[in-house]
Amino acid sequence: MTDNQSTTDETDARTDGSGIVAPDDETPTWSERKERRQGLAQLTYEYFERSRREDQDLRQESNYVERDVLAFPTWPHETVRNLSIASFFIGMMMFLASTMPPHIGPPANPGSTPAIILPDWYLYWSFGLLKLGPLNPNLSIIGGQKLMADRTYGVLANVVVVGIIAIVPFLNKGSARRPVEQPFWAAVGMTGVVFAFTISVYSAKNLLPMNVNLAFDLTFLLPVVAGCVTYAVLKTMREGYMYDLNRRYYRLRPPK
Amino acid sequence: MADEFVKGLSLFTGAGLLWMTLAGWYRTSSFESTQQLVEPVTIDLGSAGVFNTLGVTLMDVFFWLALLGPLAFWVLIPAGRQARSAIENRRNA
Repeated sequence: MTDNQSTTDETDARTDGSGIVAPDDETPTWSERKERRQGLAQLTYEYFERSRREDQDLRQESNYVERDVLAFPTWPHETVRNLSIASFFIGMMMFLASTMPPHIGPPANPGSTPAIILPDWYLYWSFGLLKLGPLNPNLSIIGGQKLMADRTYGVLANVVVVGIIAIVPFLNKGSARRPVEQPFWAAVGMTGVVFAFTISVYSAKNLLPMNVNLAFDLTFLLPVVAGCVTYAVLKTMREGYMYDLNRRYYRLRPPK
Repeated sequence: MADEFVKGLSLFTGAGLLWMTLAGWYRTSSFESTQQLVEPVTIDLGSAGVFNTLGVTLMDVFFWLALLGPLAFWVLIPAGRQARSAIENRRNA
């Protein structure tokens, strides 16, 4: 976006509350902060003084009083709200624990292996990555053998997945406030979420009531399909009639 | 309109919670069963005493309240209002 357009943007009425906080082009970047080597105290003082001054200017030039609330005070608003929420959940836990106490079964027998062995549910994805044996290629260059054992391959798959997750924030800093602003990265995110789900389901492949080979294929196909659908839907939202109507709501911020 | 929604939601969640509790008492043999909350009532109501009879009766009351309450507040009452305003519009026109 050129300077012309950004100046016209500033003349628009800001109805999304973005006028309260510092606009992105005024927020000091990390390099700018690094240039001001005047000590942490000085930097902190500048930062808070600037935000206080902005609030003051906003309040003085506005004829509204009630709408310029920056946030709700901790006491009493947030405290009362949190107390009521906490009371509700504690009451619900006490109610359920007292009316429907679960039966406590006999202690586990350490002498017999249970029929179903699974880690905790939030580790199913990693457990599923250990079962990627069909992807481990038989290399003809070493006589049709596998380069590494299937279990080593599964452990390395964990490294690959964690590495991809670690790299994504460097490729995209996540400046979009809504998925519709960056359909591609939203699609990448949906692909990852769906893959986490399908690989979790695949980790219990011995319990799945379906063909194991089909489950293995779906594990990798469904995430791609979900990503394509997400991209198509978000692109359609951007180019569609409603996007023009809601342009102010979906306001795109200028790229840096 | 929002009032009607929260009335229906309150009936659905509140009556549903009470139904779930009573069904957990009277229609659940074990929490590891695959037929929880829908097993047939096994206690003999003739010799069960007042409180058990009351519990089994209220279980059915709460079940139907959880179904019919939202239906009334989310569907029937709004539909009735729409119909009434439509009739009045037609009469005035």
